Amino acid sequence: MTRTPWGGAALAAALLALAVIGPWIAPDPLLMEAGTLLPPSSAHLLGTDQHSRDVFARLAHGARVSLTVAGVAVIIALVIGSTVGVIAGAGGSVLSASLRRITDLALALPRIVVLMVLLAALGTLPPLTFAMIIGVTGWPAIARLVRGETLRLRQAEYVIAARALGAPPPRVLWREILPGALAPAIIAATLGVADAILLEAGLSFLGLGIMAPAPSWGGMILESRDYLHAAPWLLLVPVAALVAATSSATLLGEALRRFLQPDTQ
Amino acid sequence: MTQLLEVEGLVKHYQSGGFLSRPKPPVRAVDGVSFTVAPGETLGLVGESGSGKSTIGRNILRLEVPTAGTVRFEGVDLATVSPGELRALRRRMQIIFQDPFGSLNPRRSIGASVAEGLEIHQMLPKREVASRVSELLAEVGLDPAYASRYPHEFSGGQRQRIGIARALAVEPRFVVCDEPVSALDVSVQAQVINLLLDLRDRRGLAYLFIAHDLAVVRQIAHRVAVMYLGTIVELGAASTVIEAPRHPYTQALVSAVPDPDPRSARSRIVLAGEPPSPSAPPPGCPFEPRCFHPLRDARCRTERPVLRRVAEQDVACHYAEVIAAPPLVPTS
Repeated sequence: MTRTPWGGAALAAALLALAVIGPWIAPDPLLMEAGTLLPPSSAHLLGTDQHSRDVFARLAHGARVSLTVAGVAVIIALVIGSTVGVIAGAGGSVLSASLRRITDLALALPRIVVLMVLLAALGTLPPLTFAMIIGVTGWPAIARLVRGETLRLRQAEYVIAARALGAPPPRVLWREILPGALAPAIIAATLGVADAILLEAGLSFLGLGIMAPAPSWGGMILESRDYLHAAPWLLLVPVAALVAATSSATLLGEALRRFLQPDTQ
Repeated sequence: MTQLLEVEGLVKHYQSGGFLSRPKPPVRAVDGVSFTVAPGETLGLVGESGSGKSTIGRNILRLEVPTAGTVRFEGVDLATVSPGELRALRRRMQIIFQDPFGSLNPRRSIGASVAEGLEIHQMLPKREVASRVSELLAEVGLDPAYASRYPHEFSGGQRQRIGIARALAVEPRFVVCDEPVSALDVSVQAQVINLLLDLRDRRGLAYLFIAHDLAVVRQIAHRVAVMYLGTIVELGAASTVIEAPRHPYTQALVSAVPDPDPRSARSRIVLAGEPPSPSAPPPGCPFEPRCFHPLRDARCRTERPVLRRVAEQDVACHYAEVIAAPPLVPTS
């Protein structure tokens, strides 16, 4: 494992550039005018697909969709998960006990199955709603982490010292416990970006996420199936992007862990 | 009202097991403890690890809720006050911790930690807080310029001073010192003890000074209570308890204090075995299984001795009257 965050950061910067700048310089991802299944060339950097659309354009627009969906999903999961986890860990009230039970229950349900049922029931969704649904199913793991950390920090002497000084419970929770409990949650969320990207791609591959003809990495992989021999770049390009995105999220998460929790190694 | 703190029959049991598992017998961390602390007085509380010393400190301050017994601070029964009133009372009773690395929030500057009490109790207008923090840091012997630094930049002794400044910020009358020097080097221990003595004189503080080392307690305490397995076995003036102990356990503790005089022919009592489990204390004297005294008999095994006045101190031993000090019979 690398000791510096630069590998992950460079990869993430490249992907963000692809998502932000790519769509400006690439042609229309829905335009069908070049020949079908053209190999990479100077006119079409990554070739064209079966509908004679530019693959680079679809990759860049897909990056925008995939990364936005993953980012929004992870932020939603982080906010819900941290709130639920801290209240469940604070203890003492009926609310915290029930939140703990609900978290346990939610953790027992396989996320992918819940998502498939929800998406099948809701039908085609705009990307932002799709992202929210991925986020809403992602909070329980973060809540459990934050709850455990809250329980641990409640016993820390500096937290007891704050209580001894007369700090009311909300102040203890907000100023002493939450900042400490959030560090592992932020790390987990960064690592969770990789999960969210894969979920988006997986669900789009299954035809449950971003719907064709809108470009998404999962959708591109799905459509490439029939042309593996004739045009392997159709599969390799989105797969390489997927690997790069999940690797950079994992590398950044690890770097963040070393930065925020230098004592845990 | 002459006493600042009155503790009567304090009991703290910890229950474990329960849901889905057979309830285990409770751990009797503190099993009926009574004592008082007068204004400006220092009561030393000594005993080995697990004897319930720290539990007493936290239950007195109601950081934990006692299982039974009453704690009166300035004549007020702490069990009867509302949470809001209790928070207001906390200005007058504070605590200093053992672990200089765990007792400061690593994510807040030490100035913020020291200012915490001032802000909670709104003791000063906001613009005066920083200068008060500087005064407090100077009072505990730290450079006020350190206020913006973080705990990891300080040594153990410095952190302990920061913890003391944090406690003093709210101007308490009573401070629980929960093994404040046990984690420090001997040379630093002396500095922190001197600081505590200095502050006691200057501010008229009363301390409950918890330690496992009689040598440390001797330097600061007016009176000493010796704990064994959740109960007080001997209580009296520090000089009496240390120079003429009447409980065999205290005698063993005293014999373990290093003696600076190489010519003195004092024998050290080495206790055999471990203290019994606090979840299954012996029915009689808690110290009986390890007692080395020749007078120990069937009564010690069946009847729990109560703390009673013998000569100049309170002792919980059936044979306190006939036990002479210093100890006669060291164990082999």
